[in-house]
Amino acid sequence: MSVAAAPTASAPAATVEVEDLVKVYPGGTRAVDGISFSVGRGEFLGLLGPNGAGKTTTIKILATLLRPTSGRARVAGLDVTHDPAAVRRRIGFATQAVTIDQMATGRENLSLIGHLHGMSGHELRSRVEELLELMGLTDVARKLAGTYSGGMRRRLDLASALVHQPEVLFLDEPTEGLDPQSRLVLWEELVRVNQAGTTMVLTTHYMEEADRLCERLAIIDHGKIVVEGSPASLKRTIGAETVSLRLVPTARMALLEGATDLAAIRSKIAERLRDLDTVSAIEDTDEGIRLSVRSAGEVAPEILRRIDLDGVRVYGLTMDTPSLDDVFLHHTGHRIRAEEADQVIPMGW
Amino acid sequence: MTTFAAQTWYLGLRAWRRFYRVPANPLSVVLYPLIQLFVFSQLFKDIVQLPGFAASGNGGGSYLAYLAPGQIAFTVFFAVSWSGSSLLYDYRNGMLDKLRATPVGRYAILAGELVPLFLECMIMAGAILVLSLLLGARIETGIPGAIGILLLSGAFGVAWAGTSFVPALLTKNEQATGTLSILFFPVAFMSTAFVPVALMPDWLKLVNDWNPITFVIEAMRALMTVGFEWDVIGRAIVAIVILGLVLHSVTLWAFRRLTA
Repeated sequence: MSVAAAPTASAPAATVEVEDLVKVYPGGTRAVDGISFSVGRGEFLGLLGPNGAGKTTTIKILATLLRPTSGRARVAGLDVTHDPAAVRRRIGFATQAVTIDQMATGRENLSLIGHLHGMSGHELRSRVEELLELMGLTDVARKLAGTYSGGMRRRLDLASALVHQPEVLFLDEPTEGLDPQSRLVLWEELVRVNQAGTTMVLTTHYMEEADRLCERLAIIDHGKIVVEGSPASLKRTIGAETVSLRLVPTARMALLEGATDLAAIRSKIAERLRDLDTVSAIEDTDEGIRLSVRSAGEVAPEILRRIDLDGVRVYGLTMDTPSLDDVFLHHTGHRIRAEEADQVIPMGW
Repeated sequence: MTTFAAQTWYLGLRAWRRFYRVPANPLSVVLYPLIQLFVFSQLFKDIVQLPGFAASGNGGGSYLAYLAPGQIAFTVFFAVSWSGSSLLYDYRNGMLDKLRATPVGRYAILAGELVPLFLECMIMAGAILVLSLLLGARIETGIPGAIGILLLSGAFGVAWAGTSFVPALLTKNEQATGTLSILFFPVAFMSTAFVPVALMPDWLKLVNDWNPITFVIEAMRALMTVGFEWDVIGRAIVAIVILGLVLHSVTLWAFRRLTA
């Protein structure tokens, strides 16, 4: 079942290349168990999996914060183990928790990260103002970050990972703990950043987030990549999309003998759709008919056009696509549970 | 090196702002040494009457001038004892990871934390000097000597910081950091902070032949009550440098261990 995609052999366009990465923590936990993937320049990749699947460990290795036990990872063409300093100049990293200095203002937070990246003077000042504007924080730029709302903190955190215009942005659970409204704002921001050319690697256990943001997903479970592909193709692999037509005004009507001639209508429709090659199967339902199709949204208007006949009346149309949740269940045998991961703080003596 | 200096400067600025923006911090940094000096100077006022005290030729009869340098060393101990905790705070909330994902040298992160400590120690030393002057003590070496005392206290604080950073980095626990650094306090009690060597039992005299705190106190005391005694001052500088090298090597080791 495991379809861990073979690493595209030294494809020059890849910004992130991971080969057979393994991380075993002291104590024996095998957090990452031989994963390989690559991310093309400008691509938006999501690592989707439950807490404890190895996503955060993977992204920390890529951000040079953890050393892999074995395997190789290259970011922007540079090996993360051998050349961490050079990697750090080219990446931005937003950690799972919001990490801003609460006793500094929004502007000071951004300036600090810029300075640490060797920026200064007019270049830094204009970049900071640009980011404050972009994230809608200009009005509060002079206030201490400790006074910000949850959404504002997240946006400031994101901005601070962007100050030096990184080639690659690593985001570890970027919307964890945000309310739906703030989450949406941040999503828009992330897509905009990606559109502007930044390669993005994101970890998440939110299906909706993975679905809406990522061009490609690697589903991770127990330290391994289980399956990889675009959200749409992943869903397609586990089942067709469907278009269901309701051909009776109410469900009750279908039960009344002679009220509608459902069988006749069905056969009329089947006749009309037979040569449509995007429709792979037709089955009867209590209220009408269900069509298995390749791409429900695209084919629905065509279906309606073709069955616009005397005596056929469509009372309702429903389109269904398998969800990423179904994809995950299909490939791992269990569902992603969005339970809160316990932040394990190892004890010293 | 210039990168290191620049990174230390910016991280130090951040750490300093974090310190002074909580009003309680600057307030107690100024008030505490004043209270301490005032109380101790009253408590031990008559110690100068002891025959051994005068015989050791200390302070020209003024216990205040004798006491002030020891009190400075004491306040440095207090400032150091809470200095390791802020690093833990950054570790716990992820700030440390964020900084480490930038091209910042590990040692610049530690050095940045030492900047506010250096300033705190100087401010506390300054407060003690000002109060002792107001209470009638004299600084024999004048303003240059006073600056020397401030710099010695700051440098000593930075070197001694390892006694708080190492427990912090090894235990990863704020409370344990505080309680463990208390264990270093006897080193200060055993020094010549309150009492000259002449009045001590033999085994304590032996301890003070090797006690780095004593070297630092004696140098500050020389600047306060005698003059620029370069051999005494030189010994203090050597003691601070060696202490700093040893403690900071261990600190760096513990830091690498934490962030491996």
